[in-house]
Amino acid sequence: MTPDALNRLVAQLSKLPGIGEKTAQRLAFHVLRSPPEYARNLSQALLEVVDKVRLCPRCFSLTDGPTDQPCGFCTDTRRDDKVLCVVEGIADELAIERTREFRGRYHVLHGVLSPLEGVGPDQLRIRELLVRLESGAIDEVIVATNPDVEGEATALYLVRLLRPMGIKVTRLAQGIPMGGDLEYADQATLARALAARRDLEPRVRVR
Amino acid sequence: MRLLELRCERFRNLDEVTLTPSPGATVAVGHNGAGKTNLLEALYYLATLKPLRASKLSELVRHGEASAKVTGRFLLSGAERELQVEIFEGSRAAYVDGKRAPSFDDYFGGVSVVAFTPDDLMVVKGSPEGRRAFLDRAVFNRFPAFLAESRAYAKALKSRNRLLKDQAPAAHLVAWDETLAKTGARLWTRRRALMGELQARAVEAFQRIGRTESGASFSYAPAKVELDFAAASEEALAQALQAALAARALRDLERGHTSVGPHVDDLELGLGGQSARAFASQGQARAIVLAWKVAEIENLHAASGVLPLLLLDDVSSELDPDRNAFLMAYLHDSGAQTLLTTTDPSLVKRAAGPQTVWLSVAGGKVTKGLP
Repeated sequence: MTPDALNRLVAQLSKLPGIGEKTAQRLAFHVLRSPPEYARNLSQALLEVVDKVRLCPRCFSLTDGPTDQPCGFCTDTRRDDKVLCVVEGIADELAIERTREFRGRYHVLHGVLSPLEGVGPDQLRIRELLVRLESGAIDEVIVATNPDVEGEATALYLVRLLRPMGIKVTRLAQGIPMGGDLEYADQATLARALAARRDLEPRVRVR
Repeated sequence: MRLLELRCERFRNLDEVTLTPSPGATVAVGHNGAGKTNLLEALYYLATLKPLRASKLSELVRHGEASAKVTGRFLLSGAERELQVEIFEGSRAAYVDGKRAPSFDDYFGGVSVVAFTPDDLMVVKGSPEGRRAFLDRAVFNRFPAFLAESRAYAKALKSRNRLLKDQAPAAHLVAWDETLAKTGARLWTRRRALMGELQARAVEAFQRIGRTESGASFSYAPAKVELDFAAASEEALAQALQAALAARALRDLERGHTSVGPHVDDLELGLGGQSARAFASQGQARAIVLAWKVAEIENLHAASGVLPLLLLDDVSSELDPDRNAFLMAYLHDSGAQTLLTTTDPSLVKRAAGPQTVWLSVAGGKVTKGLP
């Protein structure tokens, strides 16, 4: 008979996504064999994450700052207030942030329109986005939802909502991945890239 | 392209079996319900990832088993490749040479099949839905990307229909109209491209099959939409569809489903300038389908330089002797690799040659040789 405490740990671990019963057992044994500090640190980290991390009241990204205070992205004075990037989820925000190319602000929708799963505009942070835009400081909104059916519909919904407000709305381009081979690109991507091809004319013309 | 070996495990009622088909005709002989068509469906599913008859993937798995597997070794442009598909828990995984295929493009590269079933023969007199499925199988055989594209359209359509039923606000509905219009325009251009290639070939094949004075016609155009379909760009098609959706929004809201788009169009089949559905005899209707299939084979051959693999499911018993003789002679002369099923070997003997591999199927068991 395995001790109940161990069974409880295995049961909790196997609730994690991608973790089956066997893996949960292996992880539990690993915790048991490690020095006791490891388990204490792990449990403390788990508690902290639920106690301290919450959504930023402005952009709905994650923050561990004081309650009611905007997150680091929103308060960073070096970022550009005029450009706002709208993403589906926090993972997408982090992906864009890793490029270090984008210096504007973010807005996290926490999902996409999906009638089949009962997600409409009211279930997303769209009303909050409109409130932010009404402040008038934002010139351009970059819609960075995924290029699938739901992501496209969400982008189109936002475009129709924001254009009448006089805000420039842009969409991330789609095409061949950088450093990728044409021969490895899938047909849909290649077709899109062909449709959205651009001129090779030099930007600065010699007069 | 050639199929070198086919293995089925826990597929439908079939016992585990490994087959070495003939480079020419392979004929599976057996009574109804013995499992001949299951053998054909295994190969069709392997090559297209679409079931031939089943409406649910779980129907492809042997009763009481958790998963099924079909493996084929193919000779593709001189290289030997192994394609494999595994079906479990209502979903499937596709592998190329033992590695999970990262995309449909990787999987479908080079393999093409044309299937011909008794259901196909009913298409002329049957429902528009049946004719759309018939057309779309041909589109997919020619443009494999069509599979993903038609899925995107189906999802957008289901989403819009849900919003119609829920009486969603107009602003939300319009976003899906635009998505539906874009994905729908893509399906229209694909179907148009296929018809452009196939039309003349099918008309000509119908003349060759003969015995009918009047000519056949094959045409396709979107229903309930005002536009110059032959000339419109994909963007213009999307705009036309979006306008039609907007114009029908009230009616659609009342009925709770979408009344315009590629999912309501029909493939128009004609005979002597009249609707074949209404005026063709049973024999003429079957000759029209036969002509379409011959055109499909020749078109794939012309487009890729490769003869598709032909799968004929007990078609001979449904054709009159003359038309069956035409088909068998055509198969024999075409040089295509063919898998036929039949209850009566004498019906297909004209397609057979010295290379023909005969298989007997009984109670899900496949054995070599005539019964």
